[in-house]
Amino acid sequence: MEAVARRKAAAYVCRSCTRQFQRQLRRNYSNSAPRPDIYDVVCVGGGPAGLSLLTALRANPVTSHLRVALVEAQDLSKVKSWKLPPNKYSNRCSSLTPTSALFLDQIGAWEHLDQTRVQPYHEMQVWDGVTDARIEFDWAPGSAPVEGTTIAYMNENLNLTSGLLKRLEQLGGVSVFEGANVENITFGEEMEDLDLSQWPVVHISGGKQLTARLLVGADGANSPVRAFAGIDAKGWDYNRHGVVATLEMEGEGWGGEHTKIAYQRFLPTGPVAMLPMPGNVATLVWSTTPENASLLKSLSPKDFVAMVNAAFRLSTVDLAFMHTQGTDQDDEYSWRLQHTSFNPRAIPQTVVGVQEGTVASFPLKMRHADTYIGERVALVGDAAHTIHPLAGQGLNQGQGDVQSLVKTIEFAVTHGQDIGSIMSLESYVSERYTANHVLLGVVDKLHKLYSAGSGPLVPLRSLGLNAVNALGPLKSFFMKQAAGSGTKIF
Amino acid sequence: MEASALRRSAALVARASTRNAIRPAVCAAISNSSTSSTPPTQLQTQQTRQFSALNRPPPNYPGHVPLTRLERLGLFVGSGLISLADPRRGDLIASFAEATATPYFIYRLRDAMLSHPTGRRILRLRPRITSQSLNIPYLRSLPPNTVGRTYIDWLDREGVSPDTRSAVRYIDDEECAYVMQRYRECHDFYHALTGLPIVREGEVALKAFEFANTLLPMTGFSVFAAFTMKKSEQKRFREIYFPWAVKNGLRAKEVINVFWEEELERDVDDLRRELGVEPPPDLREIRKREREEKRRRKEMERMMSGRSGGPEDDVLQKAEKEAEVVAERVKEMKDEVVEKVGEVVGSSSMRV
Ligand SMILES: Cc1cc2nc3c(=O)[nH]c(=O)nc-3n(C[C@H](O)[C@H](O)[C@H](O)COP(=O)(O)OP(=O)(O)OC[C@H]3O[C@@H](n4cnc5c(N)ncnc54)[C@H](O)[C@@H]3O)c2cc1C
Repeated sequence: MEAVARRKAAAYVCRSCTRQFQRQLRRNYSNSAPRPDIYDVVCVGGGPAGLSLLTALRANPVTSHLRVALVEAQDLSKVKSWKLPPNKYSNRCSSLTPTSALFLDQIGAWEHLDQTRVQPYHEMQVWDGVTDARIEFDWAPGSAPVEGTTIAYMNENLNLTSGLLKRLEQLGGVSVFEGANVENITFGEEMEDLDLSQWPVVHISGGKQLTARLLVGADGANSPVRAFAGIDAKGWDYNRHGVVATLEMEGEGWGGEHTKIAYQRFLPTGPVAMLPMPGNVATLVWSTTPENASLLKSLSPKDFVAMVNAAFRLSTVDLAFMHTQGTDQDDEYSWRLQHTSFNPRAIPQTVVGVQEGTVASFPLKMRHADTYIGERVALVGDAAHTIHPLAGQGLNQGQGDVQSLVKTIEFAVTHGQDIGSIMSLESYVSERYTANHVLLGVVDKLHKLYSAGSGPLVPLRSLGLNAVNALGPLKSFFMKQAAGSGTKIF
Repeated sequence: MEASALRRSAALVARASTRNAIRPAVCAAISNSSTSSTPPTQLQTQQTRQFSALNRPPPNYPGHVPLTRLERLGLFVGSGLISLADPRRGDLIASFAEATATPYFIYRLRDAMLSHPTGRRILRLRPRITSQSLNIPYLRSLPPNTVGRTYIDWLDREGVSPDTRSAVRYIDDEECAYVMQRYRECHDFYHALTGLPIVREGEVALKAFEFANTLLPMTGFSVFAAFTMKKSEQKRFREIYFPWAVKNGLRAKEVINVFWEEELERDVDDLRRELGVEPPPDLREIRKREREEKRRRKEMERMMSGRSGGPEDDVLQKAEKEAEVVAERVKEMKDEVVEKVGEVVGSSSMRV
């Protein structure tokens, strides 16, 4: 038993070893270069992925002795103390699958999220804006999985990061360098007793340098860590922007407080989605052309609300025209509403207002890194892959990465391997790469399929959607996939 | 000799009848049966459910007749057959147009209007074109070469009135019903814009233009009427008017989006330029020239043979008289047949 513990201790640099090592260094090089500040894990990026990674490492008894550091450009104290009045919501929300929620619960973070601001939803309505073909994801009697009928949880990204920070504070033991930009990453030096020439050294603003046994890039789509590792990310820009906003609805939704519904309509310019938040609030993600996005951002609240209502109701012809108007969309919408027939129960309730200052947009792209690992480097979250938001999977993929990477590190620690070596990290890539690649590919194809306003694909895709809708088992298969409770293919 | 005489006398019969009564079939399609209708302005609940003739749903707009699928088929076949049999049953041709415009083509035309600022304004205001709405004396007072004056001159030359439109009845969507109505009411403006007369040949050329421009199926079917034209007319159609129609119809902007009521004082050439329509060679002129040419040739022949009048002319006159009687009788018989078919189709669609 003791032998195992000793072997384990030798495998990673525990705090006492580091101290001893540093004493050595001081002895040998007391007059030359500053002694390297060595960490087992340096995580660049304190977004959802980075914070979950550190929380998971700290919460796991096997990995909790590791010396870990976080480098984040933003001021994290602001994130931690983030608070909004109960009727105001941030415009950056993500859906968390039950799988992600379970993971967050296991690492003790879930309970630190403000639960009054988390909204589970149970049904989905997805339809084709050109042909009106529709698929309804509602649980037929008997088809509901034992885990529950929740498809996913809508949650503000800030509620998640703030909750993770609170949990991290509780766990303690992380050297946090916040408000610190990574300025450069280099290799360490070769020393007599320790060769650091293959070890990354992170230079942060203020002159501090952190040497990492394993450098984790959780630094988002433009990852400096990925650039340092020389890992190429392939993909393309969609020439689309995601317009987000926090919306005020006429009511709690057609299903009331306890059965919330997510809606998505595929328009030729991209999908528009409305996702339920608590009470009369909903969040919008509208993928559209950059021109349309900048028009939407320029509109008065009244006209913006009219455009959102139009996006779920009017014909694509009307919508296209209304995007050419500089103003008066509200008036145009009320007229066209009289000449458009739809089933009001199959679409979201009417939007009555937009929360001030929440209309924003982000460019959408698809990127996939050639690999997630290098010598002493691993990438997680958006640093490894950026996905079109139409399936609401980006953040969840990052959680899947973190879960897998922590498992890999745990294995290396338990088996006395160097956690930074490619050999140790191999199992992380093999577990995540294909799964992410399939999901990226499927979502990319979906985007392309639905971008066609006409042509031979249009009737075919409607046929597909209608067919899936008609086939109960296939549908509940898809729903379980979306909820992350089915057999793992994604 | 006798055959050609017969043909000539038939032509005489045709010319003898009043011009208006003989407006060719294809034109009648969009202008007939002076039943004035209330404009379809109000929206009522849209009718999409299937139903039987026994529990026919309420109309979606005044004058609307909701049809079952079978009735729609009956309308398509019946109106199609009779309009072929009798080119003057404009009301039925109009019905045929409605039967073929749904479910796809009228929506395309409506969407073309919805994609254009003026088209949208027309759909929103829903103006109607009648002799009242247009103020005929005012049009006559406009300077020549304005759109309004060209239009009224064309009406006067052809001897027609803007008030002869069938009301739309069989298109279920009330907005699309208005689009059909608007299309009908604008038809004479297209005549004026292109200068094409309402004789069969001009009408077919205009229909080809409209088909290339609007893609309404009825306009396309009407082009088949080209096969009922005389050889020389067919040749002219093939060589001049068909290529003109296709080129201009495809190139021109959607003519349905012209707010004619607002363009009346505009220079007609200016509007043609904006729309990308160049008027074809004047058909009436060509026809007149050809007729004169023919007469001159005849005269020449007679002079060459050195005779003027004689026993052969008497024979010719007699043959012409007889041919007239025969043609009259043929016409009567045809009317009878049409009536019979109409009854049969009518009662069978009642029974559906
Ligand atoms: C419009 C839109 C809608 C979306 N909707 C959903 C959804 O419904 N569901 C879902 O799962 N996902 C969604 N996503 C995706 C989701 O937001 C991202 O996948 C997720 O935020 C990625 O997390 P991350 O931690 O990997 O990266 P990020 O959140 O980008 O975090 C990276 C962090 O690194 C820091 N950083 C970067 N560079 C440096 C540097 N040089 N020095 C120091 N720090 C640095 C940044 O400050 C940042 O905090 C959506 C995305 C968009 C654009």
